[in-house]
Amino acid sequence: MGPLIPNGVIPGDWDSIIAILIGLVFGFVLEASGFSSSRKLAGVFYGYDFAVLKVFFTAALVALIGLYYIDYLGYADINLMYVHPTYLWGAIIGGAIMGVGFVAGGFCPGTSLCAVAIGKIDAIVYVIGIMIGVLIFSELFSFFQPLYEGSFMGNLTLMDSFGINPYWFIFIFTTLAIGIFALSDKIRERVKKIFY
Amino acid sequence: MVKKKVAKFLAFRYKILALIFIILAGGLVFLPKYKKHEGIKPEELLSNVINPERYISTDELAHKIIAKDPSIILVDVRSKEDYNNYTISNALNIPLSKLLDEESEMYLDQDQYDLVLFSNDNFYADQAWILCNRLGYNNIKVLDGGINQWFLTIINPPVPTENMAAVDFEKYTFRKAASMHFGVAYPEQIKVDKPVVVKKAAPKKVITIEKKKKAPVEGGC
Repeated sequence: MGPLIPNGVIPGDWDSIIAILIGLVFGFVLEASGFSSSRKLAGVFYGYDFAVLKVFFTAALVALIGLYYIDYLGYADINLMYVHPTYLWGAIIGGAIMGVGFVAGGFCPGTSLCAVAIGKIDAIVYVIGIMIGVLIFSELFSFFQPLYEGSFMGNLTLMDSFGINPYWFIFIFTTLAIGIFALSDKIRERVKKIFY
Repeated sequence: MVKKKVAKFLAFRYKILALIFIILAGGLVFLPKYKKHEGIKPEELLSNVINPERYISTDELAHKIIAKDPSIILVDVRSKEDYNNYTISNALNIPLSKLLDEESEMYLDQDQYDLVLFSNDNFYADQAWILCNRLGYNNIKVLDGGINQWFLTIINPPVPTENMAAVDFEKYTFRKAASMHFGVAYPEQIKVDKPVVVKKAAPKKVITIEKKKKAPVEGGC
């Protein structure tokens, strides 16, 4: 039966509308859980608040385990799911740049838009910065192109690149994540509490 | 009292959630595995196979071709030589051996058109149909009886005898008309005009009457 759009249960024309609806809910939840505060996001790097790490890691785990159960029960085919293509060096360098921006600005692109929506001035400056970055990138695209399109590895998942049984991988990944959560709690207890 | 108990329980909430996670993830590892079928399920394939709608009769096909129905694509699954010898007009040639090639997938895996597979008999076309169905392609039909049946019914329709029903005569008329469309000529269709003998008109005899020459005026009186 699933996935719904590739199998034509929902026509592909609904893509954008569904994306808008999910985006609205996502933005609402981000804002409701306080993720539009740059202090909360920067907390991951300074060690006084690990909520962001926990939330996104848990979300990924829930989706992963849930999808594999759905696949096991035959409601959806995991092989038909969209897997984002991997451009190795582009991803590494881009990830590093985004990480620096993340610590320096205290927003990720999604939360910055959330914060703009509630009228935070630092977020508005941040989004203008993103726009300038986009402009520079597109103007110098021919210069960045070999990096952007180079080292293409196909639509890989971690299971493909490690070549292990996905079920074992999920189990190991889950225990690892829970270990990281416990560790992050230990770190938070050591670090001086900051109220914001 | 109850609140206290709940609070005591909730103090462990993250540990409980972590435990649920590990149990769920472990469940995936320990669940008995089964081999998944690629393509459609066997039950579905069986129900498709016994469905008579997967066949299209030669009459139906002839009607569609004559009506210039844009929704059908004819696919000849015989070898290239056979295809070059004779095929139904406007048919594509995808030999059975090349059915799973990437090039042929473009024609077969679509849902805009009705694909009609045919070979000399049903045999190869049915094999091709099963393969396509297994891969989950839509709207694929088989010409019932293949080209042999096409010859027997459309190109060379049997003349009904006098004791047959009126329907058979109607069918015969349709098939005969169809065969004419595909280029068969019938003796009664060819009108041989009798040579019209044009009688040659006898040349008119021209009788020239010589005018009497006027006699020169003679002095009289």
